[in-house]
Amino acid sequence: MSSSAVEPESPDLVCQLDNVQGVVDALTSVRWKRQQDAVLELSEHGIVLIVEETACLQAKVYLQRELFVRYEYSAEGRPRFGVSLGLFVDCLNTFSAQGHSSAIELRYPGPDMQLLLKSVESSDSCTYAEIRTRIPDTISWDYNFEPAGSTPLSFTVKSAALKEAIDDLEWPGSSIHLILQPTPPSVTFRGEGHGDLQIDFMCQANTDLLVAFHCDREVSHRYKYKFLRATTSNIPSSVIRDNRGSKLTIGRGGMLKVQHLVSVAKPAIPQPHVDSAGYQQPSRIAYIEFFVKPEVDEDDANDT
Amino acid sequence: MKFKAFLTDNGVSLLDKRFLPALEKMGKICHLYLTRDHVYFLHNLLNGDGIQCIAQFRKEALFDEYRLSSQNDDRISFAIDLSLLHRALHSIISIYTEFSASDSGVPGGNSAPNHIQIKLVKKLPPHSQQPMPFLTFETKGYKSAVIQDVPISKPLSRSDVLELQAALDMAQDLPQTLIQVPDMHQLQNFVEKMKNVGDVLSVSISKYGDLHLQVSTSLITLGAEFRKLSVIGEQAQSPTDDQNLSAQSRTRIALQRGDAMTVQVSVKHFFKSLQCHAAKPDCAFYGIAQQGACLTVVFQFFIPGTHQTDKAISLHCRLPVLDPGAS
Repeated sequence: MSSSAVEPESPDLVCQLDNVQGVVDALTSVRWKRQQDAVLELSEHGIVLIVEETACLQAKVYLQRELFVRYEYSAEGRPRFGVSLGLFVDCLNTFSAQGHSSAIELRYPGPDMQLLLKSVESSDSCTYAEIRTRIPDTISWDYNFEPAGSTPLSFTVKSAALKEAIDDLEWPGSSIHLILQPTPPSVTFRGEGHGDLQIDFMCQANTDLLVAFHCDREVSHRYKYKFLRATTSNIPSSVIRDNRGSKLTIGRGGMLKVQHLVSVAKPAIPQPHVDSAGYQQPSRIAYIEFFVKPEVDEDDANDT
Repeated sequence: MKFKAFLTDNGVSLLDKRFLPALEKMGKICHLYLTRDHVYFLHNLLNGDGIQCIAQFRKEALFDEYRLSSQNDDRISFAIDLSLLHRALHSIISIYTEFSASDSGVPGGNSAPNHIQIKLVKKLPPHSQQPMPFLTFETKGYKSAVIQDVPISKPLSRSDVLELQAALDMAQDLPQTLIQVPDMHQLQNFVEKMKNVGDVLSVSISKYGDLHLQVSTSLITLGAEFRKLSVIGEQAQSPTDDQNLSAQSRTRIALQRGDAMTVQVSVKHFFKSLQCHAAKPDCAFYGIAQQGACLTVVFQFFIPGTHQTDKAISLHCRLPVLDPGAS
């Protein structure tokens, strides 16, 4: 009924979302520049949105089926299609402007392989959109993330502190060393460029800051500042407000994984109580992952 | 050419709190047009490419002791910078209220009533040999008297005033069907977000009370439909079998039956027209002029405490259509 043309008998996916703003927040966090192409991958578990930049940075947003009020998946395999991320977010945003309890329906594919969206709230007003999709490029680069060894190298830091540290590193800019060492347990960001700036997160001195820390040997890798910045530059204010943690893991070859959790809480109901660990019902969380490739040169890859 | 009047308290609050903030959004410069009975703020009436905005006040709505004379049938018009006008008025008000407050507290004190006087003057600006025209505000404060001079253009020539009056007369035509905007604020939010998606907005209005907005580019089509809105003017019964159709199909059928019109306007213009909400109208109506010449929005103001139209105040905008042939 969303279009006069004939639709496929059963679309691959029909789903309903009751918190558009939460999804807008989650998708905005991977929007680090104006023109970005994204690939959407549909499965019985949910929707994954993938964006990439110059084979050095990849981001994924996992919208699990639990985030949807209704999720009817009937495709075989995993349909993938490309959309403009900016357009998709701007379009969702217009739906969130329609008042607080705006539930929307997403449907794919439309008669011309479009992604169809429409509001479902009332019979007297309706918002709809048809977004043209394209055949996605093959993934340019393999982002398989593998652990660096038998024990994980990871730490979890308050998202606000991480963002602040990375913002501050803009001044030296260019490339940033990330150093993890077990004794004393600490995480160091060091920028050398127009000047030097070193930011240390000490595990023992500041237990509020570093929520978790796993490291059994010293590692050090360099990352391009602009890619590190992309991982936190658009982190939604709700993540900062909820005082959540972001998890950073270093994998084989120095690949850095940055994970954020974005709440897609039910609207209208006040935010569920956040317990002391800042933990919410997992079913109402969108997972965001960034993969950043290290800068490789002769003397830096001392991971082994 | 003379103009002198006192601003009433109601006039002060109408201009300062409501109309000037709204009109400033329509454009920095407008024509102020004074006639024997009315005062107009006019945007883009003489140079027709932008959004036309017409704010009309009966003189009593703003002024006391309104004195106007000119050899051109008592009509005066000049261009004025609205942000300067607003700043000058704002500053004068702060002095004026300070005095009025101190005055009322002292029984038998200063008994001369305080006023804000507004008049047209010619003055020599500093470092200049050439006298320039100004619109001047004058009031006294507790310890001071304040004069604010707002520079204005040279008054319009007789032929320009005639042209302005003719354009104004033309602009008073109302569309045959007007529909009431359901929730101005929500629509404003929506269109603001829509601006990011495309530049051209199709607006369809039907006699059934349906308003359909759509932005369409090669990558996306985004639209919203509002149904069962109140209709003023020509209306029709909506077909009973259109309930399950999509918004696009419903509009197409209404157009085929001659029960709807559609025009394309700039999304930016449409958003601007919604910003007139700052003037705090009681309701707003959209309509499409005959032959799709323009999209008109009419704001209605009630006499405070009633549901009767305040005929002393009127505000409407005319949005140029982008492709007049298409409708």
